Amino acid sequence: MEKLLEFRNISKYFPGVKALDDVSFDLYPGEVHVIVGENGAGKSTLMKVLSGAYTADSGQVVLEGKPLEKNSPKISEEMGISMIYQELNLVPELSISSNVFLGHEIKKGIFVDKRAQKKRADELLKDVGIQVDSNTLVKNLGVGTQQMVEIIKALSKNAKIIVFDEPTSSLTESEIRELFRIIGLLKERGVGMFYISHRLEELFEIGNRVTVMRDGKHILTDEIKNLSMSQIIEGIAGRTIENLYPHTRKERGEVLFEIKNLCGEKFKNVSIKVHAGEIVGVSGLVGAGRTETVRAAFGIDKYLSGEVLVQGKKVPPGRPDLSAKMGLCLLPEDRKVEGLALSLNIRENSVISSLKLLYPRGIINDQLEQGQVEAFVDKLEIAASTQEKLTRFLSGGTQQKVVIAKWLMSKSRVFIFDEPTRGIDVGAKSSIYELMDQLVEDGAAILMISSDLPEVFGMSDRIVVMSGGELVGDVDKQETDQNAVLHLAFSNV
Amino acid sequence: MAKRKINIRLSDFPNSTYVFIVAFVLASVIVPNFFTPGNITTMLTQACVMMILSTAMSMCLMMGCIDLSLGGMVSMTGVIIAILLKNGVHAGIAILAGIVSGTAFGMFNGFVVTKMKVPPFIATFGASGIAQSIANTISQERTISWEQGSHVKLVNLLGSNILTVYFGPRPAQILSISALLLITVIIIAIVLVLFKKTTLGSNVYALGANEETARLSGIDNVKWKVGIYALSGFLASLAGMIVMIRTNSLQPTVGDGLEFQAVVAAVLGGNSMKGGKGSVPGAVLGALTLYTVRNAMSLWGIDTSVVMVVIGCILVFGMMLNQVVNSLAEKRKLYRRAEGREA
Repeated sequence: MEKLLEFRNISKYFPGVKALDDVSFDLYPGEVHVIVGENGAGKSTLMKVLSGAYTADSGQVVLEGKPLEKNSPKISEEMGISMIYQELNLVPELSISSNVFLGHEIKKGIFVDKRAQKKRADELLKDVGIQVDSNTLVKNLGVGTQQMVEIIKALSKNAKIIVFDEPTSSLTESEIRELFRIIGLLKERGVGMFYISHRLEELFEIGNRVTVMRDGKHILTDEIKNLSMSQIIEGIAGRTIENLYPHTRKERGEVLFEIKNLCGEKFKNVSIKVHAGEIVGVSGLVGAGRTETVRAAFGIDKYLSGEVLVQGKKVPPGRPDLSAKMGLCLLPEDRKVEGLALSLNIRENSVISSLKLLYPRGIINDQLEQGQVEAFVDKLEIAASTQEKLTRFLSGGTQQKVVIAKWLMSKSRVFIFDEPTRGIDVGAKSSIYELMDQLVEDGAAILMISSDLPEVFGMSDRIVVMSGGELVGDVDKQETDQNAVLHLAFSNV
Repeated sequence: MAKRKINIRLSDFPNSTYVFIVAFVLASVIVPNFFTPGNITTMLTQACVMMILSTAMSMCLMMGCIDLSLGGMVSMTGVIIAILLKNGVHAGIAILAGIVSGTAFGMFNGFVVTKMKVPPFIATFGASGIAQSIANTISQERTISWEQGSHVKLVNLLGSNILTVYFGPRPAQILSISALLLITVIIIAIVLVLFKKTTLGSNVYALGANEETARLSGIDNVKWKVGIYALSGFLASLAGMIVMIRTNSLQPTVGDGLEFQAVVAAVLGGNSMKGGKGSVPGAVLGALTLYTVRNAMSLWGIDTSVVMVVIGCILVFGMMLNQVVNSLAEKRKLYRRAEGREA
């Protein structure tokens, strides 16, 4: 079969960094080619070279046997290369059809032919088997359907190559199924796809071949069936990770954190107990009410009835500041928006929740702060040259560590993690897991929401399952398996 | 062809529709002499300028920008036209000069925002000062009037009424539609058609919702932003012309504070200061609401200095209403999703 695309010895330099170092591999029609690697391994840079956002310093991109002499986002689009980014690029106030044809509208003179656009969009939707009217505004769609709109948008441009960048990171299990079904459909039609993901389990399900990249270099490309998970992980990390999940069961202490019959708009009668030295995983589908429950428990949102206890004392509702004072903390899913002040540096972010503790008199002392933060930077192995580095420039894993440092400084003992490793690469993941294990070793209690089942099973002692806003299961990890948990998760949808 | 489903929901209309209806009905009931043909004539004629300015403002807001130089540009273009008339230049040329200078000034705004990367708030705030100073300097801070003559025929024509309906002999019983009102309506209609039927609308929404999305979709951000600012300047110059014709003379500070009212009107019309949503008709209705309130208050004998207080309150009220409507829509969405009617 003829090659659809080939990267030939691509190199790209940024000041001080070799972002891509002599990378070569190829893509066949009808193939899902998975690219894996840590953040900063060069995957995105390579895709940007493909899309024309960057120009390679040396090497060639060969499309259907012809080298691309010049490239730009516009040219690559015309050549049939489409990108689907992690952050969806849709305009919420416009309809599906307007979004699909944004930038390449069907026109009649100067006017947009909305009828033709709708007809074409409906055809495309029907073609991939989605039942939505294309006049629906995008803001009224779920994330999964929005992603389908992105795919339709690519198809409307007759894409021959589609690049998926972390497509499943915010999808529910059923939406992922739907996405995989459509990827299968595209495969049959001979569309070549690059698929970038941190979720290694997915690769075996949909990938044909896999390419591992590390530090801008091409490490290996091979048929997925010839590879094992540990080989891939080793390739990504550049070292052998014996066990991704280092967590071992600790001695259970007193009940540190308790949610009692909590009812809110999107959840009802949720009761969870977490002991000191214990990690409780909260499993369930996106939309099961997990995030809403912990947000209410922490006091961010209101709840209707029930109570929340930390060390037996009642946490006042609706007051995150008082919750934090009682030793409760929430590490939100969206670190960039809710967890950190990105324009502040590591030091400022670390002390932001403990200013009152540090300075009871209200007078700031930079030196004291630096010393304190330094201790946590060392302890958490925060990878940054200096505390003064802005958190905006840190990788996802390091950002998460800064959030943890923030709550450690304010002497929190109950940690609620909401999707602790979403979008974090495998190397950083394992160090976050080590940290979590260390926390419970030191007597903290952890409640961990996660949509990643292997993570739930790897890290929890106990697993509670939520479905449709209700608690449908509370089981010891040893006594259950992934299938049983999935069944529970779907039980009340 | 299948029959088109007509499916109108209350939330499909901009908020200002309801605020306007409430304000108008209240004013008609409470304030004597409000609901008379004569007063409606006055009110509509006065509101022309604001309807045009709020159209411009709402487009800037939807794009995620703001144009605070609208008021300054009204003063500037008005002065330019008036001073040319005073010097005996033919009205057509004078008006053209005003429009060209307004449009150019708008383009300059767009250039500063896109190429110099100055935040729109600061850029247009500065530009507002520049435009107002130009107006003050040219006019030497004096009111400009001009002599009658053949060269101002066009001005007189534009200032005339095209339709007069007599409901009785007294001035209050006469409804007249001025050429200015007709021009305003036509201009707004053209903008609306362009907005709905060409790529203008989707591009403005896309730019406001997420510039990166727009860029990745192949939309030339610079071109469109400069274009919208130029359109904004163009509309401001028309407003300047209308003020000048309506008052038959021109005070150089005539545009002072109009941009603030335009923001109020646009926000009442459901435009978000963050961009990406809103509508032009909403803003126009917002402008009408403002003038209904102003007019009713002055008829009721309330001091004009209180008017700003009331307008400020309306703005805050409009914002609160936006919030309420949004959360209601959100709830309804969840409800529908729960029922499984939505994908």
